[in-house]
Amino acid sequence: MVEKKGARGLRPCTWVWLLLMALTVVTWSLGRAGVHGLALSLGVLFLALLKGQLVGDFFMGLRSVRGFWRWPVSLWLLIPGGLVTTAFILAAR
Amino acid sequence: MDASVNALAAPVARTGEAPHRYPPGDLAIWVFILAELLVFAVFFSAYAFARMGDPALFNQYQATLSQNAALVNTLTLITASYFVVRAVAAIREDDSRGCVRWLLAALGMGALFLVIKSAEYAHHFSLGVSMSTNRFYMFYFSLTFFHFMHVILGMVILAAVALKARRGGYSAVDHRGVETGASYWHMVDLVWLILFPLVYVMH
Repeated sequence: MVEKKGARGLRPCTWVWLLLMALTVVTWSLGRAGVHGLALSLGVLFLALLKGQLVGDFFMGLRSVRGFWRWPVSLWLLIPGGLVTTAFILAAR
Repeated sequence: MDASVNALAAPVARTGEAPHRYPPGDLAIWVFILAELLVFAVFFSAYAFARMGDPALFNQYQATLSQNAALVNTLTLITASYFVVRAVAAIREDDSRGCVRWLLAALGMGALFLVIKSAEYAHHFSLGVSMSTNRFYMFYFSLTFFHFMHVILGMVILAAVALKARRGGYSAVDHRGVETGASYWHMVDLVWLILFPLVYVMH
C-alpha cells in the first residue's frame, strides 16, 4: 500500500492515482462521444475492471499479499464482470 | 509482562513490499468487505440481466443522467482513496499530523461526492422522477443510494480514525486501525469504479 519514491520522485501510488484519473477521463470521453455498440460497452467495462485491479493491488495493498487473500478482489472483478459481459452480449443479439 | 511478550502482543507493522499472508488492517473488516462486495456483485449482475429484457428503455433513460456529474464524482472518489493511501504512508513514517491532514483531505473529497450526488438526486426529484418511474430508475436509485450510504459509513470510519490519530493513538508500530479504515474506504471507491461505467456509460 505504501512505497518508496520512484521515477521523477513520485511514489508508485501517485502514478497509479494519475493513471486511474486518466482512464476515468477516457471512459467519460467514450460515453460523451455518443459512440454506441457492444464493443464500446465491453471496452469501457474492461477499463473499469483494470481500474479495480489497480485499486486492489496498489491502494488496498493486495499486491504484496500471498495466498488466499490475494484473490477475492480479483475474483470479485472477474465474476460480475463476466456476468455483465454475458448479459450485454445477449442483449445485443 | 516482559518486553518480548509485549512485542508479540503488539500489532505488526507492515513495511515495504515484502509478501504478507493477510491484507492490511483487521481481518474482520476484510470479511465485512467481501460480504459487501458480494451484495454489490449481485446488484450489478441483476442490473445487467434486467437490462436484457428491455435495452431500449435502459438506454433511453440512461441518457437522462449527468455523465459530467458522474465523472467529477469518480475523480473525487479516486482522489479520496489516494489521500487515504497517503494517510497510511504518513502513519507508517510515524507522522501523525500528516496522517490526520491526509484523512481530513479524504473526508473533504467524500463530502464533495455527497454534495454532487445529492444535487443529482434533487434534480431527478424536481422532474418528478422516482424509483417507481420505471425499471431503469429503480436500479439507478437503488444502486447509487446503497453506495451513497456506504460513502457516509466510510466517512464516519475515517473521521473516527482521524480523531484517534489526532490524539496520538497510532504510530509507525501500531497503525492497524488506520489500515482497517483505509481498506473499507478503498472498497467504497472500488464499487463506484464499476458502478460508474455500468449505470452511466455502457449502452
